[in-house]
Amino acid sequence: MENERLNQLMERAGVRQYDCYQCGKCSGGCPMAHVMDLKPRGVMRCAQIGSLRRILESNTIWLCTGCHTCAERCPHDVDIPAVIEEMRYEAAAEGLTRRDSKVLNEVFLANIRMFGKNHEMLLAGLYNMLTLKPLQDMASLPHMYKNKLLKLLPKEPKNLTEIEALVKRAEKWRGLK
Amino acid sequence: MRKYSYFPGCSMESTAKPYRLATEYVMGKLGIGLVEIEDWNCCGATSGHTLSEALGLALPARSLALAEKRNPELDILTGCASCYARLRLAMYKARTDERAKYIIEKTIDMPYAAAREVYNFLDVFSLPDVREGIAERVVRKLTGLKAACYYGCLNVRPAEVTGAPDRENPTSMDEIVALTGAEPVDWAFKAECCGAAHQNDAASASRALPHRILRDAQSNGAEAIVTACPMCNLNLEMRQDGYVNRTGMDRIPVFSLSELLAVAMGASAKRIALEAHYVPSAAVLARALRRKDA
Ligand code: SF4
Ligand code: SF4
Repeated sequence: MENERLNQLMERAGVRQYDCYQCGKCSGGCPMAHVMDLKPRGVMRCAQIGSLRRILESNTIWLCTGCHTCAERCPHDVDIPAVIEEMRYEAAAEGLTRRDSKVLNEVFLANIRMFGKNHEMLLAGLYNMLTLKPLQDMASLPHMYKNKLLKLLPKEPKNLTEIEALVKRAEKWRGLK
Repeated sequence: MRKYSYFPGCSMESTAKPYRLATEYVMGKLGIGLVEIEDWNCCGATSGHTLSEALGLALPARSLALAEKRNPELDILTGCASCYARLRLAMYKARTDERAKYIIEKTIDMPYAAAREVYNFLDVFSLPDVREGIAERVVRKLTGLKAACYYGCLNVRPAEVTGAPDRENPTSMDEIVALTGAEPVDWAFKAECCGAAHQNDAASASRALPHRILRDAQSNGAEAIVTACPMCNLNLEMRQDGYVNRTGMDRIPVFSLSELLAVAMGASAKRIALEAHYVPSAAVLARALRRKDA
Protein backbone atom coordinates (compact mmCIF):
# COMPACT_ATOMS: atom_id res chain seq x y z
CA MET A 1 0.00 0.00 0.00
CA GLU A 2 2.51 2.50 1.28
CA ASN A 3 4.92 1.62 -1.53
CA GLU A 4 2.26 1.99 -4.14
CA ARG A 5 1.35 5.39 -2.78
CA LEU A 6 5.00 6.43 -2.79
CA ASN A 7 5.38 5.39 -6.41
CA GLN A 8 2.27 7.32 -7.39
CA LEU A 9 3.58 10.45 -5.75
CA MET A 10 6.97 10.09 -7.42
CA GLU A 11 5.26 9.65 -10.75
CA ARG A 12 3.25 12.81 -10.23
CA ALA A 13 6.47 14.61 -9.40
CA GLY A 14 7.98 13.23 -12.60
CA VAL A 15 11.01 11.87 -10.73
CA ARG A 16 12.47 8.34 -10.73
CA GLN A 17 13.98 7.77 -7.33
CA TYR A 18 16.73 5.47 -8.63
CA ASP A 19 18.12 8.28 -10.79
CA CYS A 20 19.65 9.56 -7.56
CA TYR A 21 23.04 8.03 -6.78
CA GLN A 22 23.36 9.68 -3.37
CA CYS A 23 26.25 12.00 -4.12
CA GLY A 24 24.95 14.62 -1.69
CA LYS A 25 25.50 17.66 -3.87
CA CYS A 26 21.91 18.70 -3.26
CA SER A 27 22.32 18.77 0.52
CA GLY A 28 25.65 20.54 0.20
CA GLY A 29 24.09 23.53 -1.56
CA CYS A 30 20.74 23.64 0.20
CA PRO A 31 20.42 26.91 2.15
CA MET A 32 18.00 25.37 4.67
CA ALA A 33 19.85 22.08 5.26
CA HIS A 34 21.10 23.32 8.66
CA VAL A 35 17.57 23.15 10.08
CA MET A 36 16.11 20.22 8.14
CA ASP A 37 15.62 16.94 10.01
CA LEU A 38 15.89 15.10 6.68
CA LYS A 39 18.29 16.65 4.18
CA PRO A 40 17.47 16.70 0.46
CA ARG A 41 19.63 13.66 -0.21
CA GLY A 42 17.84 11.91 2.66
CA VAL A 43 14.50 12.63 0.98
CA MET A 44 15.74 10.76 -2.08
CA ARG A 45 17.15 7.92 0.02
CA CYS A 46 13.83 7.48 1.80
CA ALA A 47 12.07 7.42 -1.56
CA GLN A 48 14.43 4.63 -2.65
CA ILE A 49 13.93 2.45 0.41
CA GLY A 50 10.20 3.03 0.64
CA SER A 51 10.14 5.23 3.74
CA LEU A 52 7.23 7.43 2.72
CA ARG A 53 6.32 8.10 6.38
CA ARG A 54 9.70 9.54 7.17
CA ILE A 55 9.36 12.07 4.34
CA LEU A 56 5.80 13.04 5.18
CA GLU A 57 6.68 13.61 8.83
CA SER A 58 9.86 15.55 8.15
CA ASN A 59 10.10 19.32 8.63
CA THR A 60 11.94 19.42 5.29
CA ILE A 61 8.81 19.64 3.17
CA TRP A 62 7.76 22.78 5.10
CA LEU A 63 11.18 24.45 5.36
CA CYS A 64 12.29 24.07 1.73
CA THR A 65 12.27 27.57 0.20
CA GLY A 66 11.83 26.27 -3.35
CA CYS A 67 15.09 27.95 -4.42
CA HIS A 68 15.94 25.12 -6.87
CA THR A 69 19.64 25.12 -6.02
CA CYS A 70 19.54 21.34 -5.51
CA ALA A 71 17.89 20.63 -8.86
CA GLU A 72 20.22 23.04 -10.64
CA ARG A 73 23.29 21.26 -9.33
CA CYS A 74 22.20 17.63 -9.38
CA PRO A 75 24.43 15.68 -11.79
CA HIS A 76 21.50 13.39 -12.56
CA ASP A 77 18.82 16.03 -13.06
CA VAL A 78 16.74 14.93 -10.09
CA ASP A 79 14.00 17.50 -9.50
CA ILE A 80 13.89 17.42 -5.70
CA PRO A 81 11.65 20.50 -5.35
CA ALA A 82 9.02 18.67 -7.41
CA VAL A 83 9.21 15.70 -5.03
CA ILE A 84 8.98 17.99 -2.01
CA GLU A 85 5.95 19.76 -3.45
CA GLU A 86 4.07 16.50 -4.02
CA MET A 87 4.98 15.30 -0.53
CA ARG A 88 3.73 18.55 0.95
CA TYR A 89 0.34 18.17 -0.72
CA GLU A 90 0.16 14.59 0.49
CA ALA A 91 1.15 15.49 4.05
CA ALA A 92 -1.42 18.29 4.05
CA ALA A 93 -4.11 15.87 2.87
CA GLU A 94 -3.23 13.65 5.84
CA GLY A 95 -3.48 16.58 8.24
CA LEU A 96 0.25 16.69 8.88
CA THR A 97 0.75 20.36 7.99
CA ARG A 98 3.34 22.03 10.21
CA ARG A 99 1.46 24.40 12.49
CA ASP A 100 3.20 27.69 11.66
CA SER A 101 3.01 27.01 7.92
CA LYS A 102 -0.68 26.30 8.26
CA VAL A 103 -1.36 29.58 10.05
CA LEU A 104 0.59 31.55 7.46
CA ASN A 105 -1.18 29.87 4.56
CA GLU A 106 -4.58 30.46 6.10
CA VAL A 107 -3.88 34.11 6.78
CA PHE A 108 -2.59 34.45 3.22
CA LEU A 109 -5.70 32.89 1.75
CA ALA A 110 -7.94 35.15 3.84
CA ASN A 111 -5.94 38.13 2.56
CA ILE A 112 -6.38 37.11 -1.06
CA ARG A 113 -10.09 36.57 -0.57
CA MET A 114 -10.51 39.99 1.04
CA PHE A 115 -8.35 42.07 -1.26
CA GLY A 116 -7.25 39.97 -4.23
CA LYS A 117 -3.82 41.17 -3.21
CA ASN A 118 -1.44 40.37 -0.45
CA HIS A 119 -1.21 43.00 2.25
CA GLU A 120 2.30 42.32 3.59
CA MET A 121 2.12 43.91 7.02
CA LEU A 122 -1.45 42.76 7.62
CA LEU A 123 -0.24 39.26 6.78
CA ALA A 124 2.68 39.55 9.22
CA GLY A 125 0.50 41.15 11.91
CA LEU A 126 -2.27 38.55 11.75
CA TYR A 127 0.28 35.77 11.61
CA ASN A 128 1.99 37.11 14.73
CA MET A 129 -1.30 37.37 16.60
CA LEU A 130 -2.32 33.83 15.76
CA THR A 131 1.06 32.35 16.65
CA LEU A 132 1.51 34.49 19.78
CA LYS A 133 4.64 36.21 18.53
CA PRO A 134 3.42 39.80 18.75
CA LEU A 135 6.82 41.43 18.33
CA GLN A 136 8.30 39.50 15.41
CA ASP A 137 9.44 42.04 12.80
CA MET A 138 7.40 44.81 14.38
CA ALA A 139 10.46 46.92 15.31
CA SER A 140 10.28 48.37 11.80
CA LEU A 141 6.69 49.56 12.12
CA PRO A 142 7.44 53.17 13.20
CA HIS A 143 9.83 53.50 10.26
CA MET A 144 7.21 52.18 7.88
CA TYR A 145 4.55 54.54 9.18
CA LYS A 146 6.82 57.54 9.04
CA ASN A 147 7.72 56.88 5.42
CA LYS A 148 4.17 56.02 4.41
CA LEU A 149 5.15 52.53 3.32
CA LEU A 150 1.93 51.03 4.57
CA LYS A 151 -1.27 51.57 2.78
CA LEU A 152 -4.08 50.81 5.14
CA LEU A 153 -5.87 48.87 2.49
CA PRO A 154 -4.49 47.76 -0.85
CA LYS A 155 -6.23 48.77 -4.04
CA GLU A 156 -8.96 46.24 -4.52
CA PRO A 157 -9.35 44.30 -7.71
CA LYS A 158 -12.66 45.27 -9.17
CA ASN A 159 -13.74 41.75 -9.33
CA LEU A 160 -13.32 40.17 -5.94
CA THR A 161 -16.14 37.76 -6.63
CA GLU A 162 -14.06 36.44 -9.49
CA ILE A 163 -11.13 35.78 -7.14
CA GLU A 164 -13.45 34.12 -4.65
CA ALA A 165 -14.79 31.86 -7.41
CA LEU A 166 -11.25 31.09 -8.56
CA VAL A 167 -10.23 30.02 -5.05
CA LYS A 168 -13.37 27.85 -4.80
CA ARG A 169 -12.70 26.20 -8.13
CA ALA A 170 -9.06 25.61 -7.20
CA GLU A 171 -10.27 23.73 -4.12
CA LYS A 172 -11.90 21.13 -6.31
CA TRP A 173 -8.57 19.89 -7.62
CA ARG A 174 -6.54 17.52 -5.57
CA GLY A 175 -4.26 18.90 -2.94
CA LEU A 176 -5.87 21.91 -1.33
CA LYS A 177 -5.55 21.82 2.47
CA MET B 1 8.81 52.63 -28.50
CA ARG B 2 8.92 49.51 -26.36
CA LYS B 3 5.78 48.76 -24.42
CA TYR B 4 4.83 46.04 -21.96
CA SER B 5 1.82 44.83 -20.01
CA TYR B 6 3.00 45.61 -16.51
CA PHE B 7 2.49 43.49 -13.39
CA PRO B 8 3.61 45.63 -10.42
CA GLY B 9 3.10 43.02 -7.69
CA CYS B 10 1.90 43.62 -4.14
CA SER B 11 5.18 44.95 -2.67
CA MET B 12 5.36 47.77 -5.20
CA GLU B 13 2.14 49.15 -3.78
CA SER B 14 3.45 49.40 -0.23
CA THR B 15 6.90 48.76 1.21
CA ALA B 16 8.87 49.10 -2.03
CA LYS B 17 8.15 52.79 -2.52
CA PRO B 18 11.64 53.89 -3.65
CA TYR B 19 11.74 50.95 -6.08
CA ARG B 20 8.41 51.97 -7.57
CA LEU B 21 9.30 55.65 -7.94
CA ALA B 22 12.72 54.86 -9.39
CA THR B 23 11.27 52.34 -11.86
CA GLU B 24 8.76 54.91 -13.11
CA TYR B 25 11.57 57.45 -13.47
CA VAL B 26 13.92 55.12 -15.35
CA MET B 27 11.27 53.68 -17.66
CA GLY B 28 10.15 57.24 -18.43
CA LYS B 29 13.71 58.27 -19.34
CA LEU B 30 14.15 55.19 -21.51
CA GLY B 31 10.82 55.65 -23.24
CA ILE B 32 9.59 52.22 -22.17
CA GLY B 33 5.82 52.17 -21.80
CA LEU B 34 4.28 50.24 -18.90
CA VAL B 35 0.60 49.43 -19.26
CA GLU B 36 -0.55 48.21 -15.85
CA ILE B 37 -2.63 45.05 -16.19
CA GLU B 38 -6.14 46.05 -15.36
CA ASP B 39 -7.53 44.35 -12.27
CA TRP B 40 -4.44 42.20 -11.68
CA ASN B 41 -4.36 40.07 -8.54
CA CYS B 42 -1.69 38.65 -6.23
CA CYS B 43 0.56 36.09 -7.96
CA GLY B 44 0.19 33.79 -4.98
CA ALA B 45 3.82 33.74 -3.85
CA THR B 46 4.54 31.91 -1.78
CA SER B 47 1.52 30.37 -0.08
CA GLY B 48 -0.50 29.78 -3.24
CA HIS B 49 1.51 26.83 -4.45
CA THR B 50 2.11 25.60 -0.92
CA LEU B 51 -1.64 25.19 -0.62
CA SER B 52 -2.26 23.55 -3.97
CA GLU B 53 -0.98 23.14 -7.47
CA ALA B 54 -4.17 24.56 -8.96
CA LEU B 55 -4.12 27.69 -6.83
CA GLY B 56 -0.39 28.16 -7.44
CA LEU B 57 -0.93 28.15 -11.20
CA ALA B 58 -4.31 29.86 -11.43
CA LEU B 59 -3.54 32.98 -9.38
CA PRO B 60 -0.74 34.17 -11.70
CA ALA B 61 -2.49 32.84 -14.82
CA ARG B 62 -5.56 35.01 -14.21
CA SER B 63 -3.49 38.20 -14.50
CA LEU B 64 -1.65 36.85 -17.55
CA ALA B 65 -4.89 35.91 -19.29
CA LEU B 66 -6.32 39.38 -18.57
CA ALA B 67 -3.18 40.97 -20.01
CA GLU B 68 -3.29 38.89 -23.19
CA LYS B 69 -6.97 39.61 -23.66
CA ARG B 70 -6.61 43.37 -23.28
CA ASN B 71 -3.26 43.81 -25.08
CA PRO B 72 -2.60 40.71 -27.17
CA GLU B 73 0.46 42.31 -28.78
CA LEU B 74 2.32 43.04 -25.53
CA ASP B 75 4.72 40.86 -23.55
CA ILE B 76 4.43 40.96 -19.77
CA LEU B 77 6.94 42.63 -17.47
CA THR B 78 7.40 42.50 -13.71
CA GLY B 79 10.05 43.84 -11.31
CA CYS B 80 9.63 41.25 -8.54
CA ALA B 81 11.51 37.96 -8.60
CA SER B 82 8.74 36.07 -6.80
CA CYS B 83 6.05 37.37 -9.15
CA TYR B 84 8.33 36.64 -12.09
CA ALA B 85 8.80 33.05 -10.97
CA ARG B 86 5.07 32.43 -10.46
CA LEU B 87 4.00 34.20 -13.67
CA ARG B 88 6.70 32.59 -15.74
CA LEU B 89 5.95 29.13 -14.35
CA ALA B 90 2.26 29.52 -15.23
CA MET B 91 3.26 30.56 -18.76
CA TYR B 92 5.72 27.68 -19.07
CA LYS B 93 3.28 25.08 -17.74
CA ALA B 94 0.47 26.29 -19.99
CA ARG B 95 2.80 25.83 -22.94
CA THR B 96 4.37 22.51 -22.07
CA ASP B 97 1.90 20.54 -19.96
CA GLU B 98 -1.59 19.88 -21.28
CA ARG B 99 -2.91 18.75 -17.94
CA ALA B 100 -1.68 21.95 -16.28
CA LYS B 101 -3.20 24.07 -19.04
CA TYR B 102 -6.52 22.33 -18.56
CA ILE B 103 -6.44 22.93 -14.81
CA ILE B 104 -5.47 26.58 -15.33
CA GLU B 105 -8.22 27.37 -17.82
CA LYS B 106 -10.87 25.57 -15.79
CA THR B 107 -9.82 27.34 -12.62
CA ILE B 108 -9.57 30.87 -14.02
CA ASP B 109 -12.63 30.25 -16.20
CA MET B 110 -10.97 32.01 -19.14
CA PRO B 111 -8.88 30.91 -22.08
CA TYR B 112 -5.14 31.39 -21.58
CA ALA B 113 -3.02 30.85 -24.69
CA ALA B 114 0.36 31.75 -23.10
CA ALA B 115 1.19 33.44 -26.38
CA ARG B 116 3.23 36.26 -24.82
CA GLU B 117 6.48 36.10 -22.87
CA VAL B 118 7.00 37.04 -19.23
CA TYR B 119 10.12 39.13 -18.57
CA ASN B 120 11.87 40.65 -15.59
CA PHE B 121 13.72 43.99 -15.51
CA LEU B 122 17.10 42.31 -16.02
CA ASP B 123 15.87 40.81 -19.31
CA VAL B 124 14.70 44.18 -20.59
CA PHE B 125 17.65 46.27 -19.39
CA SER B 126 19.96 43.77 -21.10
CA LEU B 127 18.42 44.21 -24.56
CA PRO B 128 21.09 45.81 -26.79
CA ASP B 129 19.08 48.92 -27.67
CA VAL B 130 17.89 49.45 -24.09
CA ARG B 131 21.42 49.06 -22.81
CA GLU B 132 22.57 51.68 -25.28
CA GLY B 133 19.76 53.92 -24.08
CA ILE B 134 20.92 53.51 -20.48
CA ALA B 135 24.51 54.39 -21.38
CA GLU B 136 23.30 57.53 -23.19
CA ARG B 137 21.14 58.70 -20.31
CA VAL B 138 23.68 58.32 -17.53
CA VAL B 139 24.35 61.99 -16.80
CA ARG B 140 26.43 61.52 -13.66
CA LYS B 141 28.72 58.68 -12.75
CA LEU B 142 28.65 56.65 -9.57
CA THR B 143 32.40 56.46 -9.75
CA GLY B 144 33.97 53.50 -8.06
CA LEU B 145 30.89 52.50 -6.07
CA LYS B 146 31.68 48.93 -5.02
CA ALA B 147 28.42 47.12 -5.64
CA ALA B 148 27.50 43.51 -5.00
CA CYS B 149 24.88 42.58 -7.62
CA TYR B 150 22.38 40.25 -5.99
CA TYR B 151 20.13 38.28 -8.37
CA GLY B 152 18.49 35.97 -5.84
CA CYS B 153 17.18 32.55 -6.71
CA LEU B 154 13.99 33.12 -8.63
CA ASN B 155 15.30 35.50 -11.27
CA VAL B 156 17.61 32.71 -12.46
CA ARG B 157 16.20 29.32 -11.40
CA PRO B 158 14.84 26.88 -12.39
CA ALA B 159 16.75 26.98 -15.66
CA GLU B 160 14.09 25.37 -17.83
CA VAL B 161 11.58 28.01 -16.75
CA THR B 162 13.72 31.17 -16.72
CA GLY B 163 16.04 30.30 -19.59
CA ALA B 164 18.85 32.12 -17.73
CA PRO B 165 22.14 31.25 -19.43
CA ASP B 166 24.26 31.00 -16.26
CA ARG B 167 22.64 30.12 -12.93
CA GLU B 168 25.79 29.94 -10.82
CA ASN B 169 27.42 33.17 -11.92
CA PRO B 170 24.88 35.36 -13.70
CA THR B 171 26.35 38.58 -15.10
CA SER B 172 23.54 40.59 -16.72
CA MET B 173 23.08 42.92 -13.73
CA ASP B 174 26.83 43.42 -13.30
CA GLU B 175 27.03 44.59 -16.90
CA ILE B 176 24.19 47.09 -16.44
CA VAL B 177 25.61 48.39 -13.15
CA ALA B 178 29.00 48.95 -14.81
CA LEU B 179 27.35 51.40 -17.25
CA THR B 180 26.91 53.84 -14.34
CA GLY B 181 30.59 53.93 -13.40
CA ALA B 182 30.01 51.69 -10.39
CA GLU B 183 32.30 48.69 -9.90
CA PRO B 184 30.55 45.33 -9.50
CA VAL B 185 32.47 43.17 -7.03
CA ASP B 186 33.17 39.49 -7.53
CA TRP B 187 31.36 37.51 -4.84
CA ALA B 188 29.92 34.08 -4.19
CA PHE B 189 26.33 34.69 -3.07
CA LYS B 190 24.87 36.36 -6.17
CA ALA B 191 22.21 33.73 -6.71
CA GLU B 192 21.88 32.22 -3.23
CA CYS B 193 18.41 32.17 -1.70
CA CYS B 194 17.69 34.96 0.84
CA GLY B 195 14.91 32.91 2.45
CA ALA B 196 12.33 35.70 2.23
CA ALA B 197 9.60 33.05 1.87
CA HIS B 198 10.05 31.76 5.41
CA GLN B 199 10.81 34.91 7.38
CA ASN B 200 7.33 34.74 8.92
CA ASP B 201 6.67 31.06 9.45
CA ALA B 202 10.19 29.85 10.26
CA ALA B 203 11.82 33.06 11.37
CA SER B 204 14.70 31.83 13.48
CA ALA B 205 15.51 28.95 11.12
CA SER B 206 15.78 31.21 8.09
CA ARG B 207 17.63 34.22 9.55
CA ALA B 208 20.98 32.70 8.62
CA LEU B 209 20.18 33.07 4.91
CA PRO B 210 20.17 36.87 4.62
CA HIS B 211 23.02 37.07 7.14
CA ARG B 212 25.29 34.88 4.99
CA ILE B 213 24.56 36.99 1.93
CA LEU B 214 25.32 40.25 3.76
CA ARG B 215 28.55 38.85 5.15
CA ASP B 216 29.80 37.54 1.82
CA ALA B 217 29.06 40.87 0.11
CA GLN B 218 30.95 42.80 2.78
CA SER B 219 33.87 40.37 2.93
CA ASN B 220 34.34 40.94 -0.77
CA GLY B 221 34.57 44.68 -0.36
CA ALA B 222 31.05 45.75 -1.32
CA GLU B 223 29.79 49.13 -0.08
CA ALA B 224 26.25 48.37 -1.19
CA ILE B 225 24.07 45.53 -2.44
CA VAL B 226 22.00 46.01 -5.59
CA THR B 227 18.84 43.92 -5.96
CA ALA B 228 16.30 43.04 -8.63
CA CYS B 229 13.39 42.17 -6.32
CA PRO B 230 11.46 44.12 -3.66
CA MET B 231 11.13 41.04 -1.42
CA CYS B 232 14.86 40.33 -1.44
CA ASN B 233 15.51 44.01 -0.86
CA LEU B 234 13.19 44.24 2.14
CA ASN B 235 14.52 41.01 3.61
CA LEU B 236 18.17 42.01 3.26
CA GLU B 237 17.46 45.37 4.93
CA MET B 238 15.17 44.25 7.73
CA ARG B 239 17.50 41.52 8.99
CA GLN B 240 20.45 43.84 9.50
CA ASP B 241 19.80 44.68 13.16
CA GLY B 242 20.20 41.00 14.01
CA TYR B 243 23.14 40.72 11.64
CA VAL B 244 25.00 43.59 13.26
CA ASN B 245 24.38 42.16 16.72
CA ARG B 246 25.49 38.71 15.71
CA THR B 247 28.58 39.49 13.66
CA GLY B 248 29.72 42.93 14.80
CA MET B 249 29.84 44.01 11.14
CA ASP B 250 28.49 47.39 9.99
CA ARG B 251 25.22 47.83 8.21
CA ILE B 252 25.30 47.86 4.40
CA PRO B 253 22.88 49.78 2.16
CA VAL B 254 20.64 47.69 -0.09
CA PHE B 255 18.77 49.23 -3.01
CA SER B 256 17.31 48.17 -6.32
CA LEU B 257 18.91 48.36 -9.75
CA SER B 258 16.17 50.84 -10.72
CA GLU B 259 17.26 53.18 -7.92
CA LEU B 260 20.90 52.99 -8.94
CA LEU B 261 20.00 53.79 -12.55
CA ALA B 262 17.62 56.59 -11.55
CA VAL B 263 20.35 58.32 -9.51
CA ALA B 264 22.82 58.00 -12.37
CA MET B 265 20.20 59.41 -14.73
CA GLY B 266 19.85 62.47 -12.53
CA ALA B 267 17.03 61.71 -10.08
CA SER B 268 17.38 63.43 -6.72
CA ALA B 269 17.22 61.36 -3.52
CA LYS B 270 13.94 63.05 -2.74
CA ARG B 271 12.39 62.31 -6.11
CA ILE B 272 12.71 58.56 -5.55
CA ALA B 273 12.13 58.66 -1.77
CA LEU B 274 15.52 57.20 -0.88
CA GLU B 275 14.88 58.18 2.75
CA ALA B 276 12.28 55.42 2.94
CA HIS B 277 14.96 52.75 3.14
CA TYR B 278 15.29 51.00 6.47
CA VAL B 279 19.08 51.05 6.12
CA PRO B 280 20.13 54.56 4.99
CA SER B 281 21.34 54.51 1.39
CA ALA B 282 21.58 58.14 0.26
CA ALA B 283 25.05 58.74 1.73
CA VAL B 284 26.86 55.95 -0.12
CA LEU B 285 25.37 57.12 -3.42
CA ALA B 286 26.24 60.76 -2.75
CA ARG B 287 29.79 59.74 -1.91
CA ALA B 288 30.13 57.93 -5.25
CA LEU B 289 28.74 60.93 -7.13
CA ARG B 290 31.38 63.19 -5.57
CA ARG B 291 34.23 60.80 -6.27
CA LYS B 292 36.35 61.69 -9.31
CA ASP B 293 37.77 59.10 -11.66
CA ALA B 294 41.08 57.91 -10.33
S1 SF4 C 1 22.50 15.79 -6.12
FE1 SF4 C 1 21.09 14.44 -7.27
S2 SF4 C 1 22.15 12.46 -7.43
FE2 SF4 C 1 23.22 13.65 -5.85
S3 SF4 C 1 22.23 13.01 -3.93
FE3 SF4 C 1 21.14 14.81 -4.61
S4 SF4 C 1 19.43 14.05 -5.85
FE4 SF4 C 1 20.88 12.37 -5.60
S1 SF4 D 1 14.75 23.82 -3.37
FE1 SF4 D 1 14.43 23.25 -1.21
S2 SF4 D 1 15.61 21.36 -0.94
FE2 SF4 D 1 16.32 22.30 -2.85
S3 SF4 D 1 18.12 23.54 -2.25
FE3 SF4 D 1 16.33 24.91 -2.18
S4 SF4 D 1 15.60 24.81 -0.05
FE4 SF4 D 1 16.97 23.05 -0.37
